[in-house]
Parts: sequence; C-alpha cells; structure tokens
Amino acid sequence: MIWVVKITFKVNGQPITLDVKPNELLINVLRDKLKLTGTKYVCGIGECGACTVLLDGEPILSCLTLAVDVNGKEVTTIEGISKNDELSEVQEAFMEEGAIQCGYCIPGFIIMSEYLLRINQKPTEEEIKEYLKGNLCRCTGYVNIIRAVKRASESRTTKTG
Amino acid sequence: MVDKVSFINSKTLRKDAFVKVRGLLKFTNDLEVPGMLIGRIVRSPYAFADIKSFDVSEAMRLGAVVITPDDVPQKPFNPRLVSVNEVTFKDHYVLTRKPRYVGDPIAAVAAPTEELAQKAAESIKFEVERVYEPVLDPFKAMSVESPLIHEKIMKGDEWIEVKNNVAATLNYVEGDVDKAFREADVVIERFFKTGKRYHMQLEPKAVLCVPEADDKITIYTTTQTIHNTRILIHQIFGIPLSKINVVKVPIGGSFGSSIQTNVLVPIAVALCLKARKPVKLTYTREEDMLDHSNFTFNFRIKIGAKKDGTLVGAEFENILDVGAHQIQPYPLLGTSLGWFVSLYKWRNIRYIGKAVYTNKVPGCALRGYGAPEVTWAVEVIMDELAEKLGIDPVDLRLKNYVGLGDVFWGQGPTVRSVIKSDGVPELLTKGKELIGWESRGRPEDKKGRFRRGIGVGRGFHTSGAGGPISGEVIDYSGAVLRLNEDGTLEYITALQDHGGGTLDAHVKIIAEELGVPPELISLATATTENTPYDVCTHASRGTYVGGEAARRAAQLVKQKIFEYATRLLNRVVNPEALKIRYDEEVKQTIIYVEGSPDIKITLKDLARTAWQRNWGTIAAIVSYRATSAPPSFTVYYVEVEVDTWTGKVRPVRVVAGADVGTPINRDLVEGQLHGGFAMAWGMAFIEDTPYNPETGELLSRGLITDYKIPTAQDIPRVEDFKVILANTYEPTGPFGAKGLGEAAMNPAVGAIANAVYNAIGVRIYELPMTPDKLLKAIKEKEGD
Repeated sequence: MIWVVKITFKVNGQPITLDVKPNELLINVLRDKLKLTGTKYVCGIGECGACTVLLDGEPILSCLTLAVDVNGKEVTTIEGISKNDELSEVQEAFMEEGAIQCGYCIPGFIIMSEYLLRINQKPTEEEIKEYLKGNLCRCTGYVNIIRAVKRASESRTTKTG
Repeated sequence: MVDKVSFINSKTLRKDAFVKVRGLLKFTNDLEVPGMLIGRIVRSPYAFADIKSFDVSEAMRLGAVVITPDDVPQKPFNPRLVSVNEVTFKDHYVLTRKPRYVGDPIAAVAAPTEELAQKAAESIKFEVERVYEPVLDPFKAMSVESPLIHEKIMKGDEWIEVKNNVAATLNYVEGDVDKAFREADVVIERFFKTGKRYHMQLEPKAVLCVPEADDKITIYTTTQTIHNTRILIHQIFGIPLSKINVVKVPIGGSFGSSIQTNVLVPIAVALCLKARKPVKLTYTREEDMLDHSNFTFNFRIKIGAKKDGTLVGAEFENILDVGAHQIQPYPLLGTSLGWFVSLYKWRNIRYIGKAVYTNKVPGCALRGYGAPEVTWAVEVIMDELAEKLGIDPVDLRLKNYVGLGDVFWGQGPTVRSVIKSDGVPELLTKGKELIGWESRGRPEDKKGRFRRGIGVGRGFHTSGAGGPISGEVIDYSGAVLRLNEDGTLEYITALQDHGGGTLDAHVKIIAEELGVPPELISLATATTENTPYDVCTHASRGTYVGGEAARRAAQLVKQKIFEYATRLLNRVVNPEALKIRYDEEVKQTIIYVEGSPDIKITLKDLARTAWQRNWGTIAAIVSYRATSAPPSFTVYYVEVEVDTWTGKVRPVRVVAGADVGTPINRDLVEGQLHGGFAMAWGMAFIEDTPYNPETGELLSRGLITDYKIPTAQDIPRVEDFKVILANTYEPTGPFGAKGLGEAAMNPAVGAIANAVYNAIGVRIYELPMTPDKLLKAIKEKEGD
C-alpha cells in the first residue's frame, strides 16, 4: 500500500487539493502534477536557486521542500508573477537589460529579485549581490541581471512615487 | 561600419524573452507525451573493469523494459560528427561490458514512473570478472606497465590498434626551431597544466524519443546539432535518415557539451525501440557531471626572441588527457596548434601533440576548444618575455601578433584563410587608457595585505570552421525563408541558439536585407525534416555562417518579391529597377522606384495579391559554406586585488574589448563578454574535478556543492565592467559581422593571471589558482 497524504494549498492564487506521498518534493509536485514547468531542476541539492518559489511570500528552494509542508500555505511560482500577461517590473527589466540568455536560471532569479524588491525597495549593488548569490547563472556573468534589478527598483520607486 | 542601417543598429528585445521571463518556454525536460516511460541508466561503479554477466530478473519482474550490452548494436561510434569520417576515432558503445570510467553506462531501464524506473535500475545485478587499477594520469597511462584502456578502436572505417593508451597524435614542423633557439637572445621554457573543468550548463541533458505510427521516430533533445544527432542514430541503429526526425528544442546553455550527441540519446532510442513506447530520459546533475567535462591540458612551451622583441621560434608540446572515450581530441590537437600559431608570428615552429586515454569522464569541447587554455599559457609566457626583454607587454604583442593580411588557421592546419579585418591595435590602445595601464606599478613595489595588479590578455576565436578548401572539418549551414500570405515571414534554421541570441541576430540580418521589422519575422520550429543540413552551433559560427545563410535566403526572397512587384507595378521595366525599405511613416515595408514616389506597393499587399492570383509562394532554401573563418579578436585588461593573508582574489575592474566586425545586437555582444569573463574567473581560480586516486571516482561525486562556479559576488561592480567594441567591418560576414561566443572568454584567464603577477609577483602555472597555491607561492617568495 502506498501511503498518501491529502494536502490543500494555493498555487498562484488557485486553491489545489492533492494526494502526495510523505517524501514527495514540492518541485516534483509543481512540475509533474501541476505542469508548472517554469520551476527548474538544476542541482536538486539546494545549491543553484533555479527551483526557487515563494511560500507565503518567502523564497524557498522547492527541491528541498516536502510537498506536505506547504499544506495550508500559498505558493507563488514564476507563472504567477505576471498578472494576465502583464509583466512585473522585474520581468520587464530583465527583458530590457538583456539579462536573459539561455533562460534556464531566469525563473529563479526573477522570483528572488521580486522578493528582494518587496522587502527592500532600493537595494544597493552589494545588497543585490548578497540576495542573488545563491542563484547560479552560467551565461550572463550576472552584470545585466544586476542592472535589471536596479532598473526594476527604479521603475517601482518612480511608480509608487 | 555600415551606412544607413535601420535595424542592425537599433536595440530590440529578444524574441524569446517574453516566454522566458514568464517561465513558459519548454525545454526538453518540460516535454511529455501520453504513455511516456521514464528511463534510467545503470552506471559502472568501477573505473575500469570487465563485466561477465547481468541479472535483470528483478527489473523485469517490476515491469521495466531493460537493455544491456546484448540488446544494443556493438559497433563503435564517435558521438561527435564534425570531423570527416577518415579522422573520426570511434570507441564508444551505447552500453558496454568493459566500463572505462566510474559512470560508464552499462545497462538501462524504462518504466511508467520515475520511481519504478529507479527501483528497477537499482535492482540490476552484474558479475564482474576483473577490476583493474584505474589509470588517471596521462603520463603514467603512456608507460608500458599501464593496461590498455582501449585495445582496438576504429579510425573512419578501419580498425586500428591503440598503443600506450595514445588515442591520437598530431605533429607539425615549420622552419628550423633548433637553429632559431640558438640564434635567439632570450629563450624561455615553461610547463602549464589546467584543471578538468565541467561545463555546468544549467540544463541537465535530456531526451524524449517517441515512436511514430509510420515506423518513424521523433527525437527531442538537448543538442547543438539536430542533423548530426539524426546521422548518429542512423549510424548506430541502421535506421534510414528519412525515418528519424530530430526536433530542435531550446537548450539551457551548453558551452560545447552537446556538440557531440550525449550518450543518453542512443540509450533512449534503444529503450524506445525495445519498448515501442515513448521514453524520456533526463540526467540528474550528478549524472550530467559523469557525461562530460573538459579535456585536461599539459603544455610545455618554449619560445625564443631577439632583443628587439622579434619572435624567432617556438616549441609546443601538448599532452591532452582525454578521459575514457574520444569525443574527438584529434581535431583538438589541431586547433590547439591553430590557436598557438595564429596568436603570434613564431616564424619557426615545432609541435608535438598527443591525446591520451585515462579512466576519467570523457573530455569534450568547452567554450573555446582549447583556446582559453592555449591563450592563457601563451599570454603568460609572452608577459614573462616582455619583462625579460624590458619591453612593454602591450608593445610586444602589437609587434608580433597575427593580424591584417596574415594567413590564419585557428581551426587547425586544414582550415586556412587570410585576415581581412583587425581591431587589435584599436582595442589594445583604447583598453590601455581605460584601465590606466601606465600607472599599474611593479610587483616589487607593492606591499601590505591587499595588493592590486593590472594584467593584459589578447586572443581571438575563429568565426566558424569554414575555408576555401574542404579539409578535415565539416562546416556548412542552411536556411529556409518564406513569405506568408499576409506579408509576415517564417525563418527556419537547424542552427541552434545556445542562449546567446544567435537567432535574434539572424532575424535582424533578414530584417536588414528585406526592410521588414524583426517582429514580423517568426522563428519557426525547426526539425531535421524541414531544414537543410547545419553541422552544429560551435566554433562561434552562429552569426557569421548561419547569419550569412539567412542573409542569402533573404536576398533570394527579395529577388522574387521584385519579380512579383514588377508584374504589379505596370510601368516598371524590370525587377532591377526596384528597391525595398521599411517606411517609418506608413509603418510598412514598401517596394518602390527611387525618384518616383508614386510607384510603390507594400509587401503586405504584394503577398496577398500573389496568393489571390495564384502566383505561388515566395520562398528560398539555402545551403551555405563559408570560405573563411575570420578571427574575432578580443582583449582583456583586468585589475585584481589579492588578499595575501587568505590567498583570495577579487576582480576590481575589467575592460573587455572585442572586434566582432559589425555588432548585430550590441547588448547581446556585451552579454557574451560579461559571461565570458565570469567563466574565465571560474577557470582561473575555482574550477576542477579531481578524482579519488584509488577508486577513480569523482571526489565531488557529481555534487555541485564541490563544484563551485562564479556567483554574482564574484564579479566587479557593474560600472567597473567596461566593454569596448572595435570599429571594424568583416567583408566576408553578413553586414560585416563576425562571431564572438568563444573569443569573449579566450584571453581573459591570461589577463587575470598576469594581473595576479602584477599584484604579488608570483606566477602559478597550474590552474585553478586556488588560495592554497597562491599562499604557498607568496610564502616561497617572501618567507613567513
């Protein structure tokens, strides 16, 4: 007999109820069961940041999180960042600054940058690097990613006045 | 520079950016089809052993489809098909009974779920006849006592015997080196060794193989070449090419790791053929590290020069550690020499190149195919020569570099052409000012815990591997371009974009040729069924070769547009009287007669009319071979700060200069340089995959906890990373463009190493320059 647990949580605003195994990882539930493949598997051991999602607004690594642990909580994945095809400032800025190359690490970077700008509207370059140091990118050399976060920060502060 | 360009000099957003920022782009591992099985590979735990038998009964009982060496063709192949057959060395098997490194695939399974597949894979037992002591050092491997890792392999269609574990050799002599050294005023000889770097492309390799109803198979995979993937599967399984369709799927970085067809592809095909069901196979990160890493380079370089700085001769010995299987180290012996001779005019040359088997992960190309390694060593020894001669290192480079009008053969002795564009003097001079070269000081005057130094490195990469004669390298590309019935266009190319934006460059090139805005040109899904052959995206050929194929397709489409327009515009005498441009006012592409503003038609109307009047589709199919592979020159000036207490080094400022001819997308060019520098930083200070000397196992066990790559904290401040582009025009390239991807990295490690020397006065000849090596060297120089 396979032991399963019923969990209820929200993903990108949608309520979900699912049967999961006690050892099932959130990344696999998101990718395989909910078909939210924007969350990427890269290392599986919490070293690269590509699978980062927000759990009740806090960034977590979905490859190190058990699905049962999100019961009753709210998960935001990359697919939930833009609202009705309207991009967030961070997404816009990543496009504008040429921060995207192959794009495999980008969901993790965008999630982490969204989080950073929510808790710190005007981060310094050192703060941006501190928050993004756990996200690996092999293409961009990070320069345009940092520029993008700065740009998003500026456009947010302009909007909110 | 180009006059009157409307699209090439404008900034546009990447076509794939909108789906990438929303996480909606599907990579191979994101694909699934109904009834799909999940595959898993059983790998050898031994570095070198003979397997007697397999017991797969439990896996069968679990309901898995199982394959062992008995179930797959036992004909050797080489997964990299860029060289012509006569110089392709074949020693791979889909699954082997004689594993030659820890991780060599020996069996595989497929089952409806990943969990079941994993259980089945773990249940497979095998009996080992003999376990050999692993051979991990290439010099030891060449000694008579070492067992032969391969006894017989195929070179082209011939079986050859392997002697002393030497996989391939290449020697070359030009002039009289011994005489040159006798007559030289200064002779320097140094030994260099690199780490065995791992690509650490973000996307682990994956494949989905689908059997189709009509006896065909469709393959989706992480590849740099859909056509060579198809040809390899045909070679191994004997399936006609017309029954195999390989679909181009976006790839999450590659850096050379999928020039070859990764071995999970033939394994998935074998599982799929046996199961008659779709099979998806994805590496874990740990498996990915067992699939590929770079070659390890051992150089001996001896150079001689006259007092005035004129180089007179060089000797270059290159011992490559290729690992357990050949992913074409033979051409790497050629390119290593090519990089060497095309950097400086040595005048007399002797080259000894040997590629040697060891029981390690098979080595393959990693961004630069030996150029970052060769350029590092040469730029370091040139720096030493400059110091010895009392000549400014920049002046010594300017005096001796291979430039405008010189014969150049970066891709090896059979790929020669003459240099027609050269931005080296401009880049070296501008960069010198920007970094503050004259005030860099001397290492002996620098004291204290934190010491700063400035270094220079200069290099290049080819733009592809084309040439006027057909040599040992296959290099041609293709393009399909079609005008739709509404005036939009569809562009199809087999050429893969690794993420650098190569295909955005193609679109802009087409836009420029036709006067059609990039947003009206769609990048249509490419498969081996609907594209002409393209060898592979490698050798920085994407923009230069593929882009020119695209331009030629656009030119043909333009001619047909003019023919149709002649029919529609009554008074026009012939197609030659017409021109095409984008009209900003009406926001339309118009076909018109110069000087007669009333005679014109929009492309949109033309396309619709051609359809309604049954004139037929306007389309072009092009197959294009470039007759040269011009060098894209790059120059790095780097300032570092060395912490002499911890041995840690920090980048302070970078000036990256590139001669790419016409930059098609300036922001993407800059992005290549940023990324190239970061990768160089990793090569210089961090990256290596050491092995357990007893077991031959990776010490990291494939976990990236022990394989760090640079992070956002390892780069200089954004404002301190300056990019300069040379004002050049390559006459053979599309709108004057050359390549960049690899040139963006090649000279950076040399510049970094020279900056470290300028800071602390010590040189490290073995990469990576880890803190322990730096501290030891500082201690030796200065005492406690």
